[in-house]
Amino acid sequence: MSAQTAEEFLTEIQKKAERGELLYIGKELRRLDDLEKVLGSPIYTNDLIPRNTLYARLVLSKYPHAIIKSVSVSKAIGYPGVRYVLTHKDVPGLNESSTIIPDRPLFAFNKVRSTGDIIAAVIAEKPNRAQEAAELVEVEYEQLKPVFDPVEAMKPEAPKVHDDGNIIKHVKVRKGDVEKGFQQADYIIENTFRTQHQDAAPMETETAFAVQRGERILIIGSMQTPHHVQAAVAKVLGWPLDRIEVIQAVTGGAFGPKSDEPPYDVASIAALGAIKTGKPVLMSMTREESMIAHTKRHPAIITHKTGVKADGKLTASKVQIVLDGGAYASLGVLVIVRATFHANGPYEIPNVWNDGYKVYTNNTYTGSFRGFGAPQAIFAAESQMDEIAKKLNMDPLDLRLINMLRPGSKTSTGQLMDESCGLPECLDAVVKASDYRKKKKLYSKQDGKIRRGIGIAMLHHGNALGPEGNDYAYVHLSVEKNGKIHLGTGLTEFGTGAISGLAQIAASALGVPIDYFTIDRPNTLVHHETGPTVASRVTVIGGNAARDAALKLKQKVLPVASKVIGCKVEDVQIVDGYVYCKEKKGKSLSWEELVKEAYEANIELNTLGYYMAPSCKWDEETGLGSPYNQYTFGAAIAEVEVDTETGLYKVLNYYVAFDVGRAINPKSVRGQLYGGTVQGLGYAMMEELVHREGYVVNPNLKDYYIPTSLDIPEQIQTFIIEKQGSMGPFGAKIVAEPPVVLPGPVIRNAIMDAVGKGVNSLPITSEKVYKAIKE
Amino acid sequence: MAQMLVKVNVNGIEREVLVDPDDRLLDVLRDEFGYKSVKEACGTGDCGLCTVLMDGKPVLSCLVPAFQAKNHKVVTLEGLNSDPLMKKIQDQFRAHQAAQCGFCTPAMEIMGWHLLNRKKEPNKQEIKEAISGTLCRCTGYYDIVDAIYDAGRPE
Amino acid sequence: MEQPLLNRSVMIVLQPSSLKESLKLLNENPDAEVIANASDLWPRIRNGEVKPKKLLDISGLVNELSYVKKDGNLIKIGALVTVSQLEGESFVNEKRFSAFKDVIAKFGSPQIRNVATVGGNVCAASSSEDFIPVLLAFNAKVRLSSVDGDRYVNLEKFITGKRKINRRPNEILTEISFEDPGEGYISAFEKVGRRNILIINLVNMAVVGKIKDGKIEDVRIAANRIKGKIPERAKNTEDFLKGKTLNDDTVARAKKVLSEEISLTDDFRASANYRKALLLAMLERLLFKLGGEQ
Repeated sequence: MSAQTAEEFLTEIQKKAERGELLYIGKELRRLDDLEKVLGSPIYTNDLIPRNTLYARLVLSKYPHAIIKSVSVSKAIGYPGVRYVLTHKDVPGLNESSTIIPDRPLFAFNKVRSTGDIIAAVIAEKPNRAQEAAELVEVEYEQLKPVFDPVEAMKPEAPKVHDDGNIIKHVKVRKGDVEKGFQQADYIIENTFRTQHQDAAPMETETAFAVQRGERILIIGSMQTPHHVQAAVAKVLGWPLDRIEVIQAVTGGAFGPKSDEPPYDVASIAALGAIKTGKPVLMSMTREESMIAHTKRHPAIITHKTGVKADGKLTASKVQIVLDGGAYASLGVLVIVRATFHANGPYEIPNVWNDGYKVYTNNTYTGSFRGFGAPQAIFAAESQMDEIAKKLNMDPLDLRLINMLRPGSKTSTGQLMDESCGLPECLDAVVKASDYRKKKKLYSKQDGKIRRGIGIAMLHHGNALGPEGNDYAYVHLSVEKNGKIHLGTGLTEFGTGAISGLAQIAASALGVPIDYFTIDRPNTLVHHETGPTVASRVTVIGGNAARDAALKLKQKVLPVASKVIGCKVEDVQIVDGYVYCKEKKGKSLSWEELVKEAYEANIELNTLGYYMAPSCKWDEETGLGSPYNQYTFGAAIAEVEVDTETGLYKVLNYYVAFDVGRAINPKSVRGQLYGGTVQGLGYAMMEELVHREGYVVNPNLKDYYIPTSLDIPEQIQTFIIEKQGSMGPFGAKIVAEPPVVLPGPVIRNAIMDAVGKGVNSLPITSEKVYKAIKE
Repeated sequence: MAQMLVKVNVNGIEREVLVDPDDRLLDVLRDEFGYKSVKEACGTGDCGLCTVLMDGKPVLSCLVPAFQAKNHKVVTLEGLNSDPLMKKIQDQFRAHQAAQCGFCTPAMEIMGWHLLNRKKEPNKQEIKEAISGTLCRCTGYYDIVDAIYDAGRPE
Repeated sequence: MEQPLLNRSVMIVLQPSSLKESLKLLNENPDAEVIANASDLWPRIRNGEVKPKKLLDISGLVNELSYVKKDGNLIKIGALVTVSQLEGESFVNEKRFSAFKDVIAKFGSPQIRNVATVGGNVCAASSSEDFIPVLLAFNAKVRLSSVDGDRYVNLEKFITGKRKINRRPNEILTEISFEDPGEGYISAFEKVGRRNILIINLVNMAVVGKIKDGKIEDVRIAANRIKGKIPERAKNTEDFLKGKTLNDDTVARAKKVLSEEISLTDDFRASANYRKALLLAMLERLLFKLGGEQ
């Protein structure tokens, strides 16, 4: 093997220099945190506990709606191994565990509103003993009339879950004149769609560990937003923020509930337990506790009334969304906002009238979960499109081509789409790859018991927080003497690869290989409050902050380099860890050498990057305006095969294209496309957390089915489209959530193509398909 | 008390431990012996993340009463980390980004290792069947299957 | 005030090292719950559904109870034979025993197959146990052993209700046996759930039969639910089919008979009507498998 000559090396460096800040962007680099995962190292919260740890188990409400007359823990305390039993009486601060609306206590004290309400927590030497003692906590209830149907709950005569009526939030979109639009229509199509409770089912359940350390309490846990957990525990303990140190441990999956109220519960209980017993306490929900007591995806009842002309042009869309909000509001108050703004699908419709309601019921509570209202809204909107196509006797593809958003179109809220609208490219990619026209023709003439069908679904997804609040992030970089660069942030990793992506962006902006980077665990004592890790915003918002931190770091080292290599500051190049002068005169340095020099010159190599997105402007009353700074677009096509005798079906092929603006790491992007699609297939085909009279019937993975390796299509063909957006680093758009949105409607539409009738509720079980065929 | 003394060989080391009658092998492996790669994610035998090898066969350690582990040989991922085939599998997991949140990774690697020891160059369907009792919520399985597939092929 | 520990924390575990010792211990402790690899019973003990004071752990008796042998015309399977072990036995590869191969392929999960025993499956006595319909279709018998000797009971009579078996307190189920039906027989098994593996069955069905010159010489049909909450034989349908020519018309009429024979209830997993529709479709498919069509 011939060694590279100095000349060849410099030419290579020159080529790399031409890429500038894009040096590592678009490269399929490995994740920085993968080694400890493949070795099975002790990195999750439950792995880190000392031997003298005590364990907590929950006492949940026996009834969905009741007054608590008394709680007696004396028998439970007397059980062997039990150290303490926490109830509301033990809360020194505020007995509250809520995000936006303060409607939820940590421990129920006067009333229970769902079977997921926590009444007490038993702390014992072994989990089994805590579990057994939990059965000995005695609660006297006076049952109240419950309400489980959110539409019923909206009526004034319905039982009140909370004191002020059951409608938590009402969101509106009012564009144009919808009645006039219906008059202009040649056809009016009305349908109702329903979706179910979905459980996020991360493999690691909600977990927190707490231990007192002098004046402070240290909490380590599985969570999405350590600073919010810190604030929640401070509220419960009545302590100032600086006495509470929260560290996010490596987290085994999240998907939304860990950004909502459940982590506040486990952290507060662990903290209270640690203070009361003087010992470390682990509160790790069992799968059953988690599936009853954590937040779920809202079930929805969505009615569509659409006016369309004979030529396929949509004239008016009236949509009502009712979300079953369960017993408490949680982050669900924001879910209804996204759902209502996206309710009409990715189409240009001149007249729109949307009403979105989140409603209290006595079912277990619902909140944040990947997609955040879009899965429900787009399932209804895209199913409705195929119903409209059927009425017009038109190919669903053609109906979409006529009405879809393109550069120059306006959304339901009147927001103008610019050149970065990649929906046409997404649709084109999947139509071509699936040979849609040919298959559609082929499947239109079938006989026999086995029928195949092909379906389409598309979406637009407003990026990041949008109307939900200030969208900002902070990323720290600090360099050790040996050249290692620490990246620290309050934004969290839980499997997306997004935090490695921040390092990739920082590395690229700085010009130093990613191998120099190491990611520190998010720690509220060390890292600046940075907003929640939600809405898939780590890359788009955090990425800008990471780039800012890297550029600031570069500015600090350039003068040092200039002095050492004898070059003007503006001519110093840092490319792939090689520091040299643009004119190639004088010395050159490695990154490590430059860092040594900086230390010697007493230049501190600590920077804090920051980014805040432009605020969004829209009218609260009419919903009109630009609620999001940019949009991600996606399209999917699926082929199914249905056994018409039994309704059993399988997905043969799945094609999905997403306009992600700029794929920072295409491999990680594909990871989200695969993972989100399969989680969406679960939502579409088999997942249903069944509530009967307020009780969760299947709070376990035996009777709640998530897809196994034998339930996935043979392959999922992915297409990454890049139409750079205005907000994210290098034009990046969000990608982690929306893949979960498309399987519901695309499977539904493919089955409709196969058997001639659509199933309008999720999950689409074989029994529902069978019933649709028979009717 | 009804405690029992159980002798069991774990990762090649002969061990003795006092267990309660309702303890599970999972609890003993994690809490007594410190083998944290073995995970609990469902407690009912439905997720596969507690998989260990018992006398060379993959079993669910949450369903094995601790008192039944006696006189058996148990192997966890910690006991396989220096095995060349396991190293190959782990390298492929990293190359394919097959570990997203990582919680299912130990169980997936054990099932992959067990398959590749019995079958030369398995195809993707065989791999999917081998991991069919092991749940992943993050990856959608494709990258895991590809990683095991490539690990099964000559360099 | 000190509370007593619940049973499961203080269970007395008896671990005999031979069958003889097991029978003696069980005779002295008839209140003991017999467990093998416990994949069904263990979670139910841990969550308090079952509250035994004593356990008799026979998992160590593999030397004596994990045999598969042919004794004359009888195939004998020791109670501790695991599903994985059965997979490696030669008889399951023969056409007339295909039903066993079908069950094994979709049983539980790969990990569960390594510990679930045929004996355990039978004693669990519920509609979720895949082996029971197959064994019923093969007219299996169980052997119950005690200090008083061995007792043979037809599997049909052994399972008396959901999770109820005809076992005396001092008996251990030690063997399952059935007659090799002989050349010319074919068997098959199918099951349906909400996904492709690790499921609680919506329905399953096993069929064993012999078609000669187009006529149904013999047929036995068993499903996870016919009339009640346990796997049973569809005797009326069998009687109807015996002697008839296997053709579309016969199958259509057989489906009618089965439809009348079935009496199911709704539950949160599926409606009675849908389960019935699945059973009828399965009957048709399995009958045609008997006839050699796929």
